[in-house]
Amino acid sequence: MMVRGLFWLVVLQLFGVALNHWLLPMLPASIIGLLLLSVWLMWRGAVPEPLQQAAGGLLPYLPLLLAVPASGIMTSSDLLLGELPVIATALVLSLLVTVPFCGWLLQTLIRRQERKG
Amino acid sequence: MTLLTHHPLFAIALTLAAFLIAAWLYRRSGWLVLQPVLVSVTLIVATLLLCGVDYATYRAGAEPVAWLLGPATVALAVPLQHNIKRIRQLFWPVLITLTAGGVLSVALTLAIGWALGADWSVVMSLAPKFVTMPIAMPVAEQIGGVASLAAVMVMLTGVIGTAMGPLLLRWAGVDHPAARGLSYGINAHAIGTAHALQEGEECGAFAALAMSLLGIGTALLLPLLLA
Repeated sequence: MMVRGLFWLVVLQLFGVALNHWLLPMLPASIIGLLLLSVWLMWRGAVPEPLQQAAGGLLPYLPLLLAVPASGIMTSSDLLLGELPVIATALVLSLLVTVPFCGWLLQTLIRRQERKG
Repeated sequence: MTLLTHHPLFAIALTLAAFLIAAWLYRRSGWLVLQPVLVSVTLIVATLLLCGVDYATYRAGAEPVAWLLGPATVALAVPLQHNIKRIRQLFWPVLITLTAGGVLSVALTLAIGWALGADWSVVMSLAPKFVTMPIAMPVAEQIGGVASLAAVMVMLTGVIGTAMGPLLLRWAGVDHPAARGLSYGINAHAIGTAHALQEGEECGAFAALAMSLLGIGTALLLPLLLA
C-alpha cells in the first residue's frame, strides 16, 4: 500500500519535471508536483489510503531528508565565509522581528474574524 | 580507510547515524535549539572534514536517501488537504499575513545587510532567502545572486529560524497552531515545516501552505520586480 502511494508521489513529481522543463522553468519540479496533488485532492475531496500511508511514512523523516542538501553548506565559498558574520547578524536580527510578527498578525486576524463570525 | 570513507554506503550510514543521534539528543535534552537538521548537518560536515571526504562524493553516495525529498515535498499536499476547510476559512487572514510577512522579511534582511556593509552580490542572494530550499537556487541565479550562496542562506535561515522560532513565538504569546505554522513556513521554510509537522498537523499544514505559496509567489514575482 505504501509503495502504491510512493508511486503516485513520484509520478506527480515526474509531471513536475516535464512542466518545469517546458512551461515553468522558475518553479522546481517537486513544488509543481505539490500543486498538482493539492488540486487533485481538493477536487476529489478526500485523501486515498495509499497516499495517506506514503505521506505518513515520509513526512516524519523530513529532517533526515533535508540534512543531505543542507550539508552542502560545507562547500560555501570564501566570499560567504568572509561575509558570514554580517550575514548571520542580518538573518538573526530580521528573524527576531519577523517570526513573532507573522505569528502575531495571523493570530490577531483570526481572533478578529472569530469575534465577527 | 579511503576504501570505507569513499564507499557509497559510508554516506548513507553517516546520514542515518547523524539523524539518529540528532533525534535522540533532541528528545533527551528537550532543548528546542538542538534542531535535528542543525545537529545532523553539524555531525555530517564534521565527519566529512575529519575523514577528508568532499561534499560531491558524499552527495553522490547519499542519493538513495536524498531523492526521497522530492516525493516528500509532493506529499505535503496531504496535510494541506486535511486542513483545507480551515485554510479556506482563513483565506484572507493568511493572504494578508503572507504578503506583509514576505515583504517585511525581504525588506528587513536587505536593509540590515546593506547597513552592515555586506557585499552587493551577497545582499542580492539574501533577497530570496525566505523561499523554500529547493526553490531558492534557480530564483537567485536568475536575479544575479550566487546560487549556492542562496542555498546556504536559505539553509542558515531555516536552521536559525527553527531554533529560535518556538522561543520567539512563546514570548510573543502566539499559541494558535495556524499562526505558529504560518510563521514557521514564512521564516524557516522547509526546515521550519519539518518542525511544524512535529508540533501538530494543523501547524504543519499552515507551514507547508506558507512555504509553497511564498515560494511560488517569489519565484514568479521577484525576477519581474527586479527586471
